[in-house]
Amino acid sequence: MASHVNRKEYWTIFVVLFVLTVLEVGVVYMGIPKTPLFIALSGLALVKATCVGLFFMHLKHETSILRRSIAIPMSIPAFYAFILIAEGAWRRLPW
Amino acid sequence: MSTSAVSEKEVAPKGGGAAHHGHGHGHDAHGDENDLWPPDAQFGTASLGKIGMWFFLCSDALSFGGLLLGYGILRGQSTQWIHPGEPELGINFTAGLTFLLICSSVTMVLAHAAAVENKRKEMLMFLGLTILGGVLFLTGQFKEYFGIGGPGLIEEGLVFGHSAYASTFYLITSFHGCHVLTGVIYLTVIFIRALLGQFEGGKHNHIEIVGLFWHFVDLVWIIVFTFVYLVPNS
Repeated sequence: MASHVNRKEYWTIFVVLFVLTVLEVGVVYMGIPKTPLFIALSGLALVKATCVGLFFMHLKHETSILRRSIAIPMSIPAFYAFILIAEGAWRRLPW
Repeated sequence: MSTSAVSEKEVAPKGGGAAHHGHGHGHDAHGDENDLWPPDAQFGTASLGKIGMWFFLCSDALSFGGLLLGYGILRGQSTQWIHPGEPELGINFTAGLTFLLICSSVTMVLAHAAAVENKRKEMLMFLGLTILGGVLFLTGQFKEYFGIGGPGLIEEGLVFGHSAYASTFYLITSFHGCHVLTGVIYLTVIFIRALLGQFEGGKHNHIEIVGLFWHFVDLVWIIVFTFVYLVPNS
């Protein structure tokens, strides 16, 4: 295991996570319409989760085969969630 | 066990592990020498324990995925999600818990960094702070459920089994809480082993693996916080 120690990177990610959390809570209080709010929240959560995975869990430094063996199974529930949400949104459209 | 004496003995030079490979696989259950395995063509220098933890985390993520998808389907189809008499979830207090978990993730990577650089005191301090973060999170969750110095959610009328809202909320957050509890116990075991001097000389493999589990708990909470607490009611 090449030892990937980059304290500056860790603190940067900490600041990013903190700012995004504040942004998430702020966005809820801003009173924007439901659909853009949901999209904004999902996007922010995804970015935060990716930051933790890549930098804190060192996925950025793993071999591509290990990264893929994790990313592919994880993409299946994400894809399923996307289909469910899209389907729900489709049915709510005022046809 | 006198730790200083042990550390003298256990600090082996990086190359010193080469002889250990000769033992074959029978004795490697010990695991501390995983760092010193020769690089693999596919997985590089990732240790067996690390790959194992990753595959466990994948299966665990699918469990959370199932719970969250079930929650999404129930909530998406409901005409009334929060019934009269049920409280709304407080965002501000939980945002504090989220921040707490992010902080404990940072102390975890710093503990790992200290282990890599063979800074014993720093490693122990940051491991301790990580455990403290986990304990505080559990205390916060206890306060949220049962109330400390004020009514908790149960007292306010959010009762498991009374509605889909209540049941999915308790199922998802308590499943996550179980992971935090597991993480605290796991971290405590690692902390004691570190105290006994088992991770001296830059043996950071086990610190990194417990870190993976801990960051995963943080990562799941980010998703749970967003979709259970923050997504507003129509």
